[in-house]
Amino acid sequence: MLARSAALVVCAAVLAGCGLGPGPGTSNVSLRVTRAFGTISVGGADEPKVPGSETVMRMLERHFKVATRYGGGFVESINGFAGASPHLDWFYYVNGVEAPMGAAGTPVHRGDQIWWDLHDWSATDSIPAVVGSFPEPFVHGTGGRRLPVELECAGDVSVACHRVSRELGRSGVPFASQLLGAGSGTDSLVVVVGTWHDLAPETVAALVDQGPAASGVYARFTNGGRSLALLDPRAQAVRTLTAGAGLIAATAQGSAPPTWMITGTDPTGVNAAAAALTRPSLHDHFALAVQDSTHLPIPLRAGT
Amino acid sequence: MTYRRRATALHAARAAAGLAYCLALALAALLLSGPVALGALALAVLGAAAVVGSRRELRRAVAFAAGLGLMVMLVNALVTRDGLTVIWRLGNLPVFGQTDVTLEATVYGAILGLRAAVLVLCGFLYTVAVDPDEVLRLFRRVSFRSALTATLSTRMVPILLRDSRRLADAQRCRPGPPPSRLQLIQAATAGVLDRALDAAAALEVRGYGAGRAPAQARDPWSRHDLAFGGAAVLIAGLAIAGRASGWAPLNAYPALHAPVTPSQVALAAGLLTCALAPFAGRRGVEV
Repeated sequence: MLARSAALVVCAAVLAGCGLGPGPGTSNVSLRVTRAFGTISVGGADEPKVPGSETVMRMLERHFKVATRYGGGFVESINGFAGASPHLDWFYYVNGVEAPMGAAGTPVHRGDQIWWDLHDWSATDSIPAVVGSFPEPFVHGTGGRRLPVELECAGDVSVACHRVSRELGRSGVPFASQLLGAGSGTDSLVVVVGTWHDLAPETVAALVDQGPAASGVYARFTNGGRSLALLDPRAQAVRTLTAGAGLIAATAQGSAPPTWMITGTDPTGVNAAAAALTRPSLHDHFALAVQDSTHLPIPLRAGT
Repeated sequence: MTYRRRATALHAARAAAGLAYCLALALAALLLSGPVALGALALAVLGAAAVVGSRRELRRAVAFAAGLGLMVMLVNALVTRDGLTVIWRLGNLPVFGQTDVTLEATVYGAILGLRAAVLVLCGFLYTVAVDPDEVLRLFRRVSFRSALTATLSTRMVPILLRDSRRLADAQRCRPGPPPSRLQLIQAATAGVLDRALDAAAALEVRGYGAGRAPAQARDPWSRHDLAFGGAAVLIAGLAIAGRASGWAPLNAYPALHAPVTPSQVALAAGLLTCALAPFAGRRGVEV
């Protein structure tokens, strides 16, 4: 009887994920640490081999001097950089997606790109998705699970749509194409391509219209989608772009996978945005506004 | 577990010296974190406790201290998420979420547990070897009521324990199933007020409430007073110096770093010597 009970306990423990030692490791994980919405680099590390049971917090602590609060679950400072004001704190994104739980409880998976950033959250304390880890989350997905990718293009931006398709294909991302507005699964990563006027009926457009507090995107289309206002970290408009302006941004509703927007004030702007959909152009940016060949990472710093 | 005069050097010392000795050991336990220094302190306190307490009392105190220390270690290992070296994966637990036990959290928990155990043993030393009536006289001038309250509290607990034992014996003599522990506790606590009234009446009769300060005794300091008083000063000094100079370093997180430095070994040897040396003198020790 005792032996049977012990065997049951052991089986339950194994099923629950118990075990001695750290368990099997993973590989090819990168870590970046920046400040001020990715504008100032603090450091980074690329790990070809990662030990088992690695969490985002442990990986950070292996490479940086970290001070924590609340029993090790909340990062207070990294390499001595801490929030100097009440609205300045460390946030992290895995594959460009805001993690739903603390770094100490978030496991690291193969190919993950972890990005820590110290920024002002007076406009919003939640930025659901960022574009600076491109081609993630399309390649490795979220939580160690690759997600299906759908590309939705408006009818009047075929050149931009082709560019986006080519870039996704170059990154090795399999995707399904369909017309904008055809609807997508709730468990898919969606890329929508079209002018702001085309995107207006989409849920993500409504989120962006409500400002950074709802979408985490520090830009807003005005004047019926013909102008693009770029916001600073306090959600104040500091620059307005008009004809030929494009935007690459990502947002999400609730816990749904993020939706990426390749959009603009007009087809020229959408083309410019699609042309900027490359790893070097998006690197370490929360979102990117484009006009002609000028790239403006947003949120925009005052005076830019 | 209560104060009973025995033929040991600590019992022979005046209460002020004994109290200072126990406080200095507790202070050292709170200030030092290095495993060697803290281990030496634990050995010293255990040695002192073995000298002053009866074997039965010591066994109970050590069992309680070890249990408490173990519990502190387990709680720290399970709750703290810091540390890089995972030694045990507990999986996804209902309240805690993904839980990994790390070597660093376990070792730091052991250090905290050892500290708690040392503090318990310091309390044991005080309880069995420092005369509470003398302590009351000592603090009477400083705070009349607080000293009385503290002394009554420390004296009432053993009395209530004895009451409980007597009640348990009486209940065992009755036919039927043995009474539950809860019933016993209820009966013992119900007698607390009676006991308190008894104590108040005794104090009244002895004229304690008159509040007149007794004449201050001017006993000369004995060799044991000087030995334990000096040991207290040295232990406190070593602990403060060790803390301020970082002689016993311990960085538990994120990776364990607890080097055994010569200064830490010297500190440990110093603490051990200072804590046990006063027991060497046996002259004038009597019950």
